[in-house]
Parts: sequence; structure tokens; C-alpha cells
Amino acid sequence: MSAARTTNLDLSAPPVIQLIGRRSLYIGVVASVIAIALGFTNPQVFFRGYLVSYMDWLGICLGSMVILMVRHLTGGGWGMVIRRILGAAMRTVPLMAAFFIPIAVLGVPRLYPWAMPLESVQNPTVREHLEHNRFVMSGYLHWSGFIWRAIIYFAIWNLLSYLLTRWSKEQDTPPVRDNSLRFKAVSGPGIILYAFTISFAAIDWIMSLDPSWISTIYGLLFLAGELISALCFAVVIERILFRYKPMSELLRPDFVHDHGKFMLTFVMVWAYFSFSQWLIIWSGNLPEEITWYIRRLHGGWGGVGLFLVVFQFFVPFFLLLSRPLKRDITRLVWLAVWLICVRYIDLFWLIEPNFSTSFHVTWADLLIPFAMGGLWLAYFCRNLSSMPLLPAYDVFAKQVLEPKHE
Amino acid sequence: MKTTPTYGIMAEFDSASDLVAAARKTHEAGYRKIDAYSPFPVEELAEAIGFHKNGVPLVTLIGALIGGISGYLMQYWMAAISYPINVGGRPFHSWPAFIVVTFEMTILFGGIAAVFGMLALNGLPMPYHPVFNVPRFAMATKDRFFLIVFSSDPKYNPTDTRRFLEGLKPRSISEVPS
Repeated sequence: MSAARTTNLDLSAPPVIQLIGRRSLYIGVVASVIAIALGFTNPQVFFRGYLVSYMDWLGICLGSMVILMVRHLTGGGWGMVIRRILGAAMRTVPLMAAFFIPIAVLGVPRLYPWAMPLESVQNPTVREHLEHNRFVMSGYLHWSGFIWRAIIYFAIWNLLSYLLTRWSKEQDTPPVRDNSLRFKAVSGPGIILYAFTISFAAIDWIMSLDPSWISTIYGLLFLAGELISALCFAVVIERILFRYKPMSELLRPDFVHDHGKFMLTFVMVWAYFSFSQWLIIWSGNLPEEITWYIRRLHGGWGGVGLFLVVFQFFVPFFLLLSRPLKRDITRLVWLAVWLICVRYIDLFWLIEPNFSTSFHVTWADLLIPFAMGGLWLAYFCRNLSSMPLLPAYDVFAKQVLEPKHE
Repeated sequence: MKTTPTYGIMAEFDSASDLVAAARKTHEAGYRKIDAYSPFPVEELAEAIGFHKNGVPLVTLIGALIGGISGYLMQYWMAAISYPINVGGRPFHSWPAFIVVTFEMTILFGGIAAVFGMLALNGLPMPYHPVFNVPRFAMATKDRFFLIVFSSDPKYNPTDTRRFLEGLKPRSISEVPS
């Protein structure tokens, strides 16, 4: 078997991606204009919705980066076939950094109790806690520390994205290259760095909305959720691409099966982390911990929590036990779409109860995901179109370009 | 002279691709009682010989459900009926505390059911199998690929089946005595 891979297949992304990108851009721009206009009337509500939406789209971006790094470490056709989809989603990190600026500059004093004058903090538990532990605000939770730490996270994520993209780009042109050692050298430490940075980011950006409460597994909840989002997003895009060449020639049921198995795994990991946190806090039943759940299980939030247990775990779990479903991209995609939507509700349930004891949905919760998502998708489509859908001059591209045993 | 009844006719191939192609053609020709052997798992092969479903997933699911339900009921019976103890003022029937053991019992019984269900359904361990009467078959564990049409197939006919298999361009053809 020769190392050279001659393929007559045109590996560039089909025009439909540009069409989706253009339409997303329209939706994003229109929704953004409306959201910003409404934001002037009520900046508080605007930033709450903005934060939920931000974490949702950031999840797809960073989750894609992690799955890509897992692929570089383990190899396999399942990852080769979606490699450029994951890469295009990963390369939206600069956009996510830009989206973070409004939170860092304008959002902080409107969102985080530690950045507000203490007398204006609504939640009495949080106010008392901050009054008794003022060192928290001078030592860690202060505006400049918040911004500096964010700069470090984005620097790390951008660096990983830059290196992985650069070496991947080399494999689009002859000669055939084996960059796997370089990829591995970055991906191994990269996954560890990601686990730390996402944990710190989740503490800074979400957990500190209630500085009186701590949970050591909190960062992992976001990690697992981001993996679900990213994998489901890749499945949706691969389904769209599957209608056209070249993906229709490349995507085999075996690869789809692997993606389905990953979905099952990530759903189970998310449930495992979520249940661990619940079991430990429920068993301890300490006032400073259990309040977090009491807030999220009363005043209408409990229904949302139950919805998540059923529809982000039980239903996807039992459906994904089916082998035919996991192998059939045309059916698996609907579960992926569903999980992407439920992920947003999950973040909504984690974040919004901090601001209100009773369940309510604001215009910002409904509008900003489309505003931010439209712009994000437009950027993603631009990224996806800018490189071929497969690095043809990677030694391992044959896993996808050629049938298995020849 | 005593003639031994034939178990089937076996064709030998050089590569997994040849075997898959041959298996597919044999299945398309209407043969249903066929089997294929390879030194390593070939994913398309099961589909090529028309082997779509087996009972192991169902056995595993039933085992897992039995394990999970009995695990939960066992704890419920102990904590709420047989020996109720007040733990920090919680109700006797405190489901969150039962989940871990319920989960472990589900996995344990599911795993046991999978292993023994698999053994029961595929008939292992099997000390005698007629295919080993063909000396060349030993190479199925090294680098050769085999396809067999069983004599129990309704379409089976010693001469026609042999001719059909010869048309698939195998490396060799052997009759398998039972």
C-alpha cells in the first residue's frame, strides 16, 4: 500500500455552508440589533441572558477543541472524518474572546455580587457571607483579577487553537506528512490545561454569582456539558454535509456509530458528575451548601431541574442504547439537535436562579442565543469553508479515504 | 465403504476484502445457512452473511434491569422495613442514598448476564466442531479467510454449490465431513 493518497474527490466544503453562514449572519445581526436596543432599557436582564448564551456557545467552541485533542491522542477514523468540523468550531475562540469583552467591561458590576456595593446585593445569604468574609473580595474576586484570569484562559485557548490549526493546515498540501507527534505533544498537556482553565473559568464566571456557595466538582459539570454540546454540534454539521460530496463519500456507518457511542458516554459522564454533586450535598445537608439546591428546586425551578434529569439523561440514555439509532446519521441527528437545545436549558437552570427565586424567562434568554449564535455560526461557516473537509496529506487520511482492509 | 455425511463446503480466500465480497455474493445467491471465519474481526462480515441480530443485548438488558430493581428493593427493604434507623432526620426511604448501589448492581448483573448469555447463545465452550476436520482450516487463525455453506441450507446441493463457490475464485475448496 503506497503512502501517497491520490483522491479525485473535491474535499472543499459544499456551497451550502456559505449559504448557512450568510443566513446565520442576517439572523445574528438583526437579533443583535434588537437585543442591544432592548439592552439599553434593562442592562441587568440583558447581561443575565448574555451570560447564559455565552456559556452555551463557548461550550461548543471549547468542547470541539477537546474532542479534537482527544482525536490527536487516540487516532481513529471517527475523528478524522469530523476533524475539520471540530477545527472550524475551535477556531471561533477569538470571537468568543471578543464576546467576553462586554461581560468583562460592562457586565461585571451588573452580574456579580462581589463587584456590587454590598447593600445592593439582593440575596441576604450572599450579602451576609460577603460582609463576614471581606478578604474574598480583596484577595480573589475583584474586577482586575477577574479580567487578568480571563486573559490567561483565552491566551491558553487561543494558543492551543493556533498550534493545532497551523500543523493541520500543512497537511492540505503535498508532501504527505505525519504530524502526529507534534499534535500529541500539544494535545496531552492541552487537555490537562483545558480541564484546569475551564474549572477556573466556571468558578470565576458562574460559581462566583453566588460567592457563599462552593462545589469542587462544579468545573467538571461544565466540562462534561461542553463535550455533549460539541459532539452533538459536530453530528449536526456532518448530517448537513452528508447530503453533498465529499462527505457523502466519506462518512461511514462505523464512524457515525462511534459518534453515537461518544454521545452516550458524554451524557453518562454529565449525569455522573451532576449526581455526584447532588448526592454529596444532599448527604451533608449543610446550610451553606444545600441552599444552592433549595433555590433550584423551588419556585418553579424544580420543574426545570426534573426536566433536565429526564431529558438530558434518561431519554437520551435509553435511546442511545439502540445500536441501529447510533449507526443511522439521519436519526441520530435529531437527538443531537435535541441535546444542543437541552444544554441551553441546563445552563439556564445553573445560572438564572442566582438572580430570581421564582421561575421566569426574559426576552434576553430567548433572543440573545440567536443573536450570539447567528454571529458565531457565520464565523464557524467561514472557518469551515476556508479549509478542505479533510487533511488529504495526513498519513492517516487513508483511514477515511480508503476502505478499511485493502 | 461407509460415506460420512457432509457438513458443508468450505472456500478459502486470501484477504478480508475477498471474503466479504464472496460472502455477499453467496448471500445474494440465496444461501442462508452460511458462516465465515477470519483471523481478526471484520466489521462488514456479519452484515455480508446476513447476520443482523443476536440475543445478547436483550439478555444483558434483562439482567441489568433485574440487578437494578433488586438492588433498589434490597436497600429499601433494609432501610425502611427490616431495620429502620434515623439518619440525620432523613426519611427512611431516602432514594438518593440508594442510587449508587442500585447503579452498581445494574452494572454487575448486566455484565454477568452479558458474559453467560453470550456463552449460552453461541454454545461455547465447544470441544468438537466439524470445520476442524479440514486441515487447512488451522490457517484461519493466521492469515487465511474461510467461507462455508452448510449442508443444512435448503439450496445446498453438493455439485451446484461447489460450482458456485468455484465461481467466486477462492484459493481452494474443501468438503467438510461432519
